[in-house]
Amino acid sequence: MQSQQKLILARKVLIQITLIGLSIVFLFPFAWLILTALKPIKETMTVPIKWIPSKFMWGNFYDAAVYGHDSLGYYPFVVYARNTIVLCTLIVAGTVASNSVVAYSFARLRWPGRDLAFGITLATMMVPFPVLMVPTFALFRHLEWIGTYRPLWVPSWFGSAFSIFLLRQFFRTIPFELTEAAKLDGASEWRIFRTIVLPLSKAALAVVALFSFMAAWNDFLGPLIYLLDQKNFTLSLGLQFYQSQNGGTSWNLLMAASAMVIAPVIVLFFFTQRLFIQGIAITGLKG
Amino acid sequence: MKSISKKEGLAGLIFASPWALGFLIFMGYPLVASMYFSLCDYSVLKPPIFVGLDNYISLFKDDLFWTALKNTMLYAVLSLPAGMMTAVILAMLLNTKSKGMAAYRTFFFIPSLVPQVSLAILWRWLLDGEHGILNPILLKVGIHGPNWLGDPGWAKISLVIMGMWGVGNAMLIYLAGLQDVPTQLIEAADLDGANSWQKTLNVTLPMISPVILFNLIMGIIGTLQVFTVPYIMFPNGTPAHATYFYTEYLYDNAFRYHKMGYASAMGWIMFVMILILTIFSLKMSEKHVHYQG
Amino acid sequence: MPQTPGVDRNAFTIPVLAIAVFGVLFESEQLTKAPPPDKKVHVQYWEKWTDFEFDAMKKVVDAFNKSQDKIQVDILSISSIEDKTLMAISGGIPPDVVGLYGENVTQYADNHAVITLDDMCREAGITKEDYIPAFWNVGVVRNKLYALPSTPATTAMHYNRELFREVGLDPDKPPKTFDELFTMAEKLTKREPNGHLVRTGFMPSEPGWWNWAWGPFFGGTLWDGKDKITFNSPENVEAYDWVQSFSKKYGASAMQSFQAGFNGTFSSPQNPFMTSQNAMEIQGVWMYNFVHKFSPKLDWSAAPFPAAKPNLPDPTVIDLDVLCIPTGAKHVKEAFEFLKFVETQKGLEMLCLGQKKLTPLKKVSDGFIEHHPNPFIKLFIRMAYSKTTCAAPKLGIWSQYKDEITNATSEITLMTKTPKQALDDVTNRMQPMLDKYLARLKARGEE
Repeated sequence: MQSQQKLILARKVLIQITLIGLSIVFLFPFAWLILTALKPIKETMTVPIKWIPSKFMWGNFYDAAVYGHDSLGYYPFVVYARNTIVLCTLIVAGTVASNSVVAYSFARLRWPGRDLAFGITLATMMVPFPVLMVPTFALFRHLEWIGTYRPLWVPSWFGSAFSIFLLRQFFRTIPFELTEAAKLDGASEWRIFRTIVLPLSKAALAVVALFSFMAAWNDFLGPLIYLLDQKNFTLSLGLQFYQSQNGGTSWNLLMAASAMVIAPVIVLFFFTQRLFIQGIAITGLKG
Repeated sequence: MKSISKKEGLAGLIFASPWALGFLIFMGYPLVASMYFSLCDYSVLKPPIFVGLDNYISLFKDDLFWTALKNTMLYAVLSLPAGMMTAVILAMLLNTKSKGMAAYRTFFFIPSLVPQVSLAILWRWLLDGEHGILNPILLKVGIHGPNWLGDPGWAKISLVIMGMWGVGNAMLIYLAGLQDVPTQLIEAADLDGANSWQKTLNVTLPMISPVILFNLIMGIIGTLQVFTVPYIMFPNGTPAHATYFYTEYLYDNAFRYHKMGYASAMGWIMFVMILILTIFSLKMSEKHVHYQG
Repeated sequence: MPQTPGVDRNAFTIPVLAIAVFGVLFESEQLTKAPPPDKKVHVQYWEKWTDFEFDAMKKVVDAFNKSQDKIQVDILSISSIEDKTLMAISGGIPPDVVGLYGENVTQYADNHAVITLDDMCREAGITKEDYIPAFWNVGVVRNKLYALPSTPATTAMHYNRELFREVGLDPDKPPKTFDELFTMAEKLTKREPNGHLVRTGFMPSEPGWWNWAWGPFFGGTLWDGKDKITFNSPENVEAYDWVQSFSKKYGASAMQSFQAGFNGTFSSPQNPFMTSQNAMEIQGVWMYNFVHKFSPKLDWSAAPFPAAKPNLPDPTVIDLDVLCIPTGAKHVKEAFEFLKFVETQKGLEMLCLGQKKLTPLKKVSDGFIEHHPNPFIKLFIRMAYSKTTCAAPKLGIWSQYKDEITNATSEITLMTKTPKQALDDVTNRMQPMLDKYLARLKARGEE
């Protein structure tokens, strides 16, 4: 018994060491990002490498936040942050609302052609984005939506294959007896959906919300194509602003701004990751 | 089995209508339109001119198309298994009940959150053969590091390594799959005296095989469309087109050379390739994927 | 559960959420709404510049807005401007003025994406005669004017005086010919016994922005001006033989590994010229700004780039930013009023001095040169009149041609192909593309 306990302990220590080692590997570039963010501009990209800044320039974060104020007359970072939050709110709300309704139909309602429609939904996941880029642009231009946020959030209100798939898998795990009883009592499908299915699906909805939030937060190509006015940019697109063409890029400010862009998502992930993983686990990509 | 009631059918259609609308507007129309554009000479600014299969014929004669395709396939073949293995191993480590799990999960996921623009710049600094950070470290342990970014062969390997670093999403999905493996099964294997390796091979992996299949298909779709990081890190596919990928050539044709028709044809060829690979994976997996319940 | 009697809390969640989302939606619409109309005509102006270059243009815009009370120019800084403008034009919502790169003009003109300015210029008295010909010509495609110069640049040899002294060269005597360049470069190069490069005197591929200019420096051309790609002409082969001679001398892989480290460091203190790792470099008038920002103590000079052949002295690359009016612009007349303001001597000098460049005009006001921060500004102005200027060829397929040349240069310096082979390959690839392009232009009734 003694030796077996020792073995278990040794295993635990070994796993801890591996985890710590891998953490260093995975955090290394991120740590480098933070260190660069804290350097004076002269110490970025030196040979030999200067690991630790000679002086910790905490002011870089402030400088990055107010960068561009003089020439533009507003604080780009603050404005981009607000734009990003507005956009993310609309996208997350739309994703959760539309996909839960659609997934409910695919999972728990029977209608002719349903399985075919679901198959088509899955197939759309395989369409490469570039195929759609040109005609979609033409479509939004026809609607005169270029330069507004609408091309970025409106589609999220019409369902997306990945989220429909996740939610459908989850809705199918809810016992049918629960809803059949309500149906016999004469409850409408909407009422069943809202009062029985939705309250049981909070974890799954959270997963869909988080995935769509992170995708929206980091989306680069969409805003790049559809947003024209600099003051409507989002954070991920706005980062480009720190790279000057002919005047010399302020790498330290670029990295400070990047750190500030990622920070909220890291914090959000840290506090929700348990729910997040549980949510994926119960949705179970079991087919 | 009851017959479908009219009321339920109607409700089903109403509930599914957002999807139906979205599919028609944001998927169906663009698909049909891009199919048409692929048969046209189209520069966006002028109305498209129908040219039949000209774009497809030119593509098959275009050396750069084949170079980009070859690069992309090679990248996928290297990157897909490497990424999947990394993700599974990380997920398994994260599934052991060790201390500080919340922190580790976050650490391993952070690389997936770094904006691509910053990511590409960071990796340049790290990997640079002459002034980078990695090679001096390797030298300390006695390895003479290669010219990561300058050598045509190693440049691709660098991208594969970078890919392994950003497997956060897949890792989470595996982790969720692992947590779903019934503990009774593991305990039963324990009673049979199986060691960790046997348990992994005979119980855990088969149990998460649907998740592996899912990640494989998502991986095929993702790696074949690799774009942002090589686009920023290796402008024009330097050195000597060794890192010039399919989507880059497609993007260049569409937005830099203004050949939208040509680009649409490339998009369709890619769609067909992904479709074939997916169907192939599904067929191949029929024997190996184990569905619970 | 529905069985629970009393108030159903869930019944409130959805309406409350819906109202909140509706509020955000309203906000998002407000953010992208056009500003309320006033009596002025608003001219939308897109520029690619950021930072101090943007500020310089902003000053000109402000001066224009103050100079009259009918037109208000709203300037926006736009990234990847050549792609975005195209999208906006095709989307039917182009800006009224756009600041493009000179080498984009032909592609835009061929697509009728920008309008001709001849008539308006004639009326306004903006004439060719006032401009340095090399710059004016960039805006002319098939005898029609599509773009006016904003800020121009020429290139010259930049060299590190300190390193010249270190190896016993006279810092006041930079190389005059390509042979001198080669031997001086050899003196300035430092290698470890194993061939590993520590410092280079000169590398044709650094910074590698004008890989297409070596041919013209040797008297070659990129096309015949009509329908033939001439990239594999003897002069061009000679030029790229010279490019490869560096790889032969120092080793392709040694150079490659040395240079790989510079990629992406241009705009940083790590720039090889500023770290004294590369002694001589072809660079534009802007180089001063970078040295000033990242390495102000560097002892450097600029001089005419050496001549490849005696009859081709002072070779230089014409690199120009331009202003255009996109097709479909809503306020063409007002947009041109603004262009007229910029194109005055006062406007251009305000802009070009702000960006620390030369002006495209033949005449400069007293003190422009004396007060210019760049100590070599006179040289860059002189280069604009050089006999051996080369600018991007006026080819609609130039962006692709240029990418092909960049790749061929990479193959040549890596020595995976002989120069002749690489040049033949590019020519054979581009000729059919040009044929097809011209055929389609013709089919559309254009020449």
